[in-house]
Amino acid sequence: MSAGVGGLAGAGNRIITRGFDGRWDELEGMELPDAAAVLVRDNHEAARAVWAAATGDTEVLVASRTRVTPDLADDLRSAGLAIVDGEEVTAPSTERAATAGRVWLLTSGSTGRPKQVAHTLASLTTVAGDQPRRTWLCPYAQGAYAWWQVVTLSIAHPGQDVLFIEPDELDTWPARALEVGVTAASGTPTFWRQALYRDPESVAALPLEQVTLGGEPVDQAILTRLTEMFPKARVSWIYASSEAGATIAVHDGRAGFPEQWLGREADGRATLTVDDGELLIASPKRGEGIDRVLRTGDRVEVVDGRVLITGRIASDEINVGGAKASASAVRDVLQAHPAVAWASVRGRKAPIVGSIVTAEVVLSGDATDAELTAWCAARLPDYSVPRRVRFLDQIPIKETLKSDV
Amino acid sequence: MSALSRDAIRTMMAEVLQAQGKSMPTDDSANLEQIGFRSLDFSELALRVEDEIGEELNFDAPELRQIATVSDVLDFLEQLQAA
Repeated sequence: MSAGVGGLAGAGNRIITRGFDGRWDELEGMELPDAAAVLVRDNHEAARAVWAAATGDTEVLVASRTRVTPDLADDLRSAGLAIVDGEEVTAPSTERAATAGRVWLLTSGSTGRPKQVAHTLASLTTVAGDQPRRTWLCPYAQGAYAWWQVVTLSIAHPGQDVLFIEPDELDTWPARALEVGVTAASGTPTFWRQALYRDPESVAALPLEQVTLGGEPVDQAILTRLTEMFPKARVSWIYASSEAGATIAVHDGRAGFPEQWLGREADGRATLTVDDGELLIASPKRGEGIDRVLRTGDRVEVVDGRVLITGRIASDEINVGGAKASASAVRDVLQAHPAVAWASVRGRKAPIVGSIVTAEVVLSGDATDAELTAWCAARLPDYSVPRRVRFLDQIPIKETLKSDV
Repeated sequence: MSALSRDAIRTMMAEVLQAQGKSMPTDDSANLEQIGFRSLDFSELALRVEDEIGEELNFDAPELRQIATVSDVLDFLEQLQAA
């Protein structure tokens, strides 16, 4: 048995997927090769693969079928994994002994083809100690780090039931969550923004005790909105990645984390430092083979004693005639406007100045292009004020629950 | 899509200025510095023209020259569309 820190103490927890409603240990068995990449069609199949791996000596990668391109499948086969796609099993192109208990994750692939990062159920199980009884909503893509966080929590701790949501249920999940009795929900800021934009009344009706955000920079506007909507809930944001693991958890309802946390060393906790505006993490929960001190590629800024994680360094900077505009700073200003439900900011190639700042916006109230420009002009240097604003009818959301990746 | 007329470009220039809280002078010989039309505004105007005609303007095509007045801006963008 390849159990996590809590073992399989959650075997009796209820999990609900489309097509299954029962306990982990009631899932139908799945025959897996010793080392397998399981391409899953839905969360039911994904849960079966997880349970088969957790109760066997299998090395496993679980990924949504839509994520694994033929090139990636070839990479996985040459890395020694058989490809399991429904009934079809394709042997690995490299023979090697399996490593029992290893769990592979794919990185988000924002900087090219997804890479594989090695974990174990134990390294993915980041929650320890007694947990209050909860029913979780898990809308994340199968096999993503955040998905594994909810899955390992449920496997390792009694009283942690899970309702899994498929990508095509993202518009309708609140009704299902209410019916099932969800009391804790985890999603990206884009996921929450979309939910509050589409159906705020149904979301507000949920008896949530825990609201968690992660996977994207978490800004104050969305934290405030959720805190006001769920005054009795703990609203937390988590910083996690396949490479670093879950390293930062903040529960005070505020964006960023306290500056005093920088440089702090403690057993079992990540050490956080900043170098040239980039967040560096030494994490005990990192994947195997990942640098002890990982350069995250995420930009941070210290404002009023809080360390704010603003966005990816590689995509954040917009050079406007030599002046450096920050896409994330502009996005945060737009998203703080009371009539803006969601915003995305990019540079666009332009004559004379090289690039100018442009924005896509989804409104939840009334605002004109001119009003948004004036709002930004009052809060940002002139080169950062979006010069072109495009209004969209709905919040774009990808299977990763993110907008930009 | 066909090229924009000088009048259409002038209207767009007025919109760019208006969005910045400034107004378009009636006289095309007005000096850009005096009316507060800066390089960022010029870039925005060029992108508005690009969006309208559905094509990217090739700024390398015409000879670079002094652009000091409203008329210079209109001439330049007219010429770019023809390039």
